[in-house]
Amino acid sequence: MKDKKSNLTRRSFLKATGAVAAGIQIGAVAGAGLAAGSDPSTLTGWQHLGDNTQFVDRSKLVLKGKPYTIVGETRRCEYVESPFGRNSYMMRNMMEQRREKMKRQEIEDDYVRDVAPEGGQRAEPSGPQKPSFPELNSFSGPLLDFYKKFPEIYELDKIRTESIMPKRSEDLKKYGDYYTLIDAWANAWGTSERITEPPEISDFKLGRRSIPDPLPFKSPKHASELLKKVTHHFGASMVGITKLNPDWCYNHSLRGSKNRGAYEKPEHWKYIIAFGVPHQWEQVQSNPNMGTSSDAYARSTIAARRLETYIKSLGYAARRHSPMDGYDLVAVPILVDAGLGQQGRHGVVVTPETGSNFRVAFVTTNLELEIDKPIDFGVNEFCTTCKICADICPSQSISHADTNEGMNTRGYNHWEINQTSCYNYWMQSMGAMGCRLCIIACPYSRKNNWLHALARKADTGDPTGLVNDGLTWMQEKFFDTPEAAEYLPPPDGRFATFREPPEWLQVSKYLDMNPLDPTKGQ
Amino acid sequence: MFTTSMLLMLIIGLVTVPLVMGAVALTRDMKLNMNWWKWTLTGLWYFLLLFCIYLDFTFMGEGEIAAAWKLLLFEGVILLILGVGLVRILLSGRSAV
Repeated sequence: MKDKKSNLTRRSFLKATGAVAAGIQIGAVAGAGLAAGSDPSTLTGWQHLGDNTQFVDRSKLVLKGKPYTIVGETRRCEYVESPFGRNSYMMRNMMEQRREKMKRQEIEDDYVRDVAPEGGQRAEPSGPQKPSFPELNSFSGPLLDFYKKFPEIYELDKIRTESIMPKRSEDLKKYGDYYTLIDAWANAWGTSERITEPPEISDFKLGRRSIPDPLPFKSPKHASELLKKVTHHFGASMVGITKLNPDWCYNHSLRGSKNRGAYEKPEHWKYIIAFGVPHQWEQVQSNPNMGTSSDAYARSTIAARRLETYIKSLGYAARRHSPMDGYDLVAVPILVDAGLGQQGRHGVVVTPETGSNFRVAFVTTNLELEIDKPIDFGVNEFCTTCKICADICPSQSISHADTNEGMNTRGYNHWEINQTSCYNYWMQSMGAMGCRLCIIACPYSRKNNWLHALARKADTGDPTGLVNDGLTWMQEKFFDTPEAAEYLPPPDGRFATFREPPEWLQVSKYLDMNPLDPTKGQ
Repeated sequence: MFTTSMLLMLIIGLVTVPLVMGAVALTRDMKLNMNWWKWTLTGLWYFLLLFCIYLDFTFMGEGEIAAAWKLLLFEGVILLILGVGLVRILLSGRSAV
């Protein structure tokens, strides 16, 4: 009897535990799904904290007492207290001394030329000059006051100037090559100069200096591997490399050149590195009236500036082509050549990672590289049946044709759009202007999470087209989207957005204003 | 975030052990005479349930709430039909009490 009671209890316990475990598992899977969907990193291809600006909830760490203890008379920080500030004073001091010395030199030269007997010469300095730190009394103003007050710091500055820095110069001569890549990397992050000269000049200059002698790579494969890695680090989500077809160069306006007409492709533009980033997802989903191109434009431009300087720092010619610095090239065919994606019905390149949500930049170079091959992941077939972008386009600029046969753009056959009617709609839109609806309505433009990666994989691997039809059907039936006319200005439309804008773009959430809301017919 | 952590994956894996033990106890209590293919069908149905939940909540996380609910309704009907079929199969082999 006792055993039977014991068995019953054990079995009941197991059943109850099993039920609880099932509840936990289902809840955990739901939570994991929610996280997979909302993870900001899947939006961009790089780690992203979304709206969170802190790793840690600081409200739980708030200090109970006062953060500072006052132990004397309080005052503000003087410039000379920092070594950087003192450097700046010293430079000014040294420049003044140099100017005075040059003035004295001129007087001496005049004397040698005009007054000294024939053969009179100025004594030439012998051997390398050892750097010396000025005597204390040669300083003036705040620096002199500071050194008098803190003689131990004067000694430290003297040691740095007379011993540490010369030793570092020697170390650099001996070991500098070992640090070549970190130097190039550091230079890259500091890029800021504008392109003001033609390629044969600017592509070979690093700031005001000429680029150094080219450093030898083990092979083009090694060069490509390294450049792709650093381009990702510079902010690009996708990178590809190809050779530059002269047909993809513009027939006008080569930046930095006084010649505004057609130009020959510069010989040193042998290879082109193509890369890009997606837009911030929430704002791009709020297009056409509550989105912008500027975020991805800026990110790809910054990556381009860094990469250009990096390549130049290694001794090779380079020129960036980016949204904020301008292009000398047509983007779409280069992206296709570099294997970053395929052109879609809407004329834009569709990538396997973030679909059409992708903004690009390029760097042309003479560095020998291993090139990538064009890819095919079924976009041509998909676009033939899916006409979602054509249906949603407010200006009806995208073709509804079943195929792109017969379309001819400068001798090449591909999907064409009516650029002028498209641009006319840009000028009607609100917010940051532009449209981008076709970019975000494209079924490929989905987050790079497990769900959409699986859908893309299934679509690519299905030769029957059933997955293709199924996904398009789901997109049309399950996802609520305004009709094309709703994106137009009132009274024809209501300045609709593809999805509800994120709360951080909604004026009423943060500003004490009560604007008219055209989306609600006001 | 805990929901994106590997710890959560570990917990999901760990709770499978008591879940299976509980399921075995339940089938014995109900005298369902389970065999390998019945367990396989049951496991597949449960996997499908978890998959659908994961999928719907992923859509919710993306902010596609309407799509998530529509899909949940669609999947719910399919899961219900399959679940009823599975229960009928399992009960058909039940021992006389």
